[in-house]
Amino acid sequence: MNAGPGVAPEKGAGGMHRTRQALVALGGAAVLLAAVGVGGERALAHKERHTPEQLKAFEEVFIEQVKLGDLLFHGDPDAEKRMNTQLSRTGMACAMCHPFASDTHPHEFPKFQEQMNRFATLRDMINWCIEKPNEGVALSADSDAMKALEAYIVWSNRGSKLDAGRH
Amino acid sequence: MDELERTRREIHRELARPGERPAASTAITRRTFLHRSLLAGAAAGAATYGWFPLVNTLDVAVAQQQTFKFAWVSDTHLYPKDVNTRFVDKAVRAFKEVQAMSPPADFLIFGGDLAQLGDPVELDLGADILKEVKIRKVFIPGEHDWYLDMGKKWEALFGTSPWSFDHKGVRFIGLDTVSRGPDYWTAKKMTPRQRMAHMSALDGSVAGAWAGVGRDQLQWLSTTLSSWPKDRPVVVFSHNPLYEYYPPWNFWVRDWREVHEILKPYTSVTNVHGHTHQVLYNEIGTMRSIGMLATSWPWPYAPDGVPVLTRPMVRVDPGDPFDGVGWGRLTAGGPRIENEYVMWRKDVFAEAAVDAGTGDNVNQVLQPRIADREWPFYGEHK
Repeated sequence: MNAGPGVAPEKGAGGMHRTRQALVALGGAAVLLAAVGVGGERALAHKERHTPEQLKAFEEVFIEQVKLGDLLFHGDPDAEKRMNTQLSRTGMACAMCHPFASDTHPHEFPKFQEQMNRFATLRDMINWCIEKPNEGVALSADSDAMKALEAYIVWSNRGSKLDAGRH
Repeated sequence: MDELERTRREIHRELARPGERPAASTAITRRTFLHRSLLAGAAAGAATYGWFPLVNTLDVAVAQQQTFKFAWVSDTHLYPKDVNTRFVDKAVRAFKEVQAMSPPADFLIFGGDLAQLGDPVELDLGADILKEVKIRKVFIPGEHDWYLDMGKKWEALFGTSPWSFDHKGVRFIGLDTVSRGPDYWTAKKMTPRQRMAHMSALDGSVAGAWAGVGRDQLQWLSTTLSSWPKDRPVVVFSHNPLYEYYPPWNFWVRDWREVHEILKPYTSVTNVHGHTHQVLYNEIGTMRSIGMLATSWPWPYAPDGVPVLTRPMVRVDPGDPFDGVGWGRLTAGGPRIENEYVMWRKDVFAEAAVDAGTGDNVNQVLQPRIADREWPFYGEHK
């Protein structure tokens, strides 16, 4: 996979279509296909030793979501259309206040969040930013777009010290 | 100690020789320091930031005791009104406040990024609301104004840069630090909109180290200053800071060392810049540097490189579009000029780390973005 047009999931298919292709191509894929939930079967893990190819495939599943989250975070309209989201109505994108996903502090959640006056998760905060400053439409907490945004934010801050609850 | 820190220390050793400080004529006054500390009721807290936290008060000696004031507005980032009137409202407020200054300012310097995407509609809108300001206006461009049509519309409306003029004993210089970016568009056959989209993403990796003064403008600067006495005040306006703060966001000009070589003989140099959308203050060699507010939105402090002489601004409320933004008023007091951040809130500076824009970033480690590193790019719509 690369950062070209195929990086973001195909329309209506979430991220899983390309993911499946990649995993099938590895061969010996029965366990892996189960791991991604094909056919609704119970996922099995750690029954055999991991191969470098398997680990690479796992990484690609993750990075694909990071790239999608990056696009959404930077206000890419194609990505928004594909994911059926409206993250902003003001022309502002998340990255305009959070370059490199700075000041998002994923390592500090969950915590009491002053703006909401309640205990909150990172996903709660993402939705607050979408609804308040950006005047967009909040995401379902377990939606693919939310997971992608979370993936990008956490990846951008990897190496930060876990510090939950810090104001 | 990492490579960046080693480089910074080496630069400091080279440019700030032992005992060398900016000329006393640009000193911050003790009077103001005490006054503000007492106002805040936290002199001890303020002292922990050192002796130079009062970036909102900068005094510049003015020849012959003449006094005057001028105003800075920048980074309005206007969208067309049908997209977003929020930024328009804030720009209008700033311009109205500039016009209402009493006694009036001698001139307004607009420091770039009038438009968000260089759209002629945005630039015309900016020119229209700038009519609110009747005093003399001078302009330098920002990258958002430039890269749709490579400055054609901007220059038609606001003239060319660089420029200089002398006013009541001060030589004012306006630089163009945005138009000499490396050509990242021709080989990839980008449309003007694609080119502008990459330029408009602060944390993008495509446009590269676009901020620079350039060989030709360095020569111009050197020539322009050659006729000016070395102990007389010089104020240099630039969109980007004339030092290295955080290159990944072009919080610098790439040839700032050459700029300093030219400015080094002058003992009273003040750089006033935009682009960073935050309270900033630095001293390098004999040059002081003040970062001004945007009217549009505040950028967070970069993960590293914040000058130790900066007393950080407060964490602002992201739910209030008028918080953490504003403009700059440089007013005269006796023989000096005082620079004041006009931020539309009660407190500008944090008294404690927990309330500071920098203190908020403890434990934060950041990576550059990933989705724009390969070709073809996404995000070229903006």
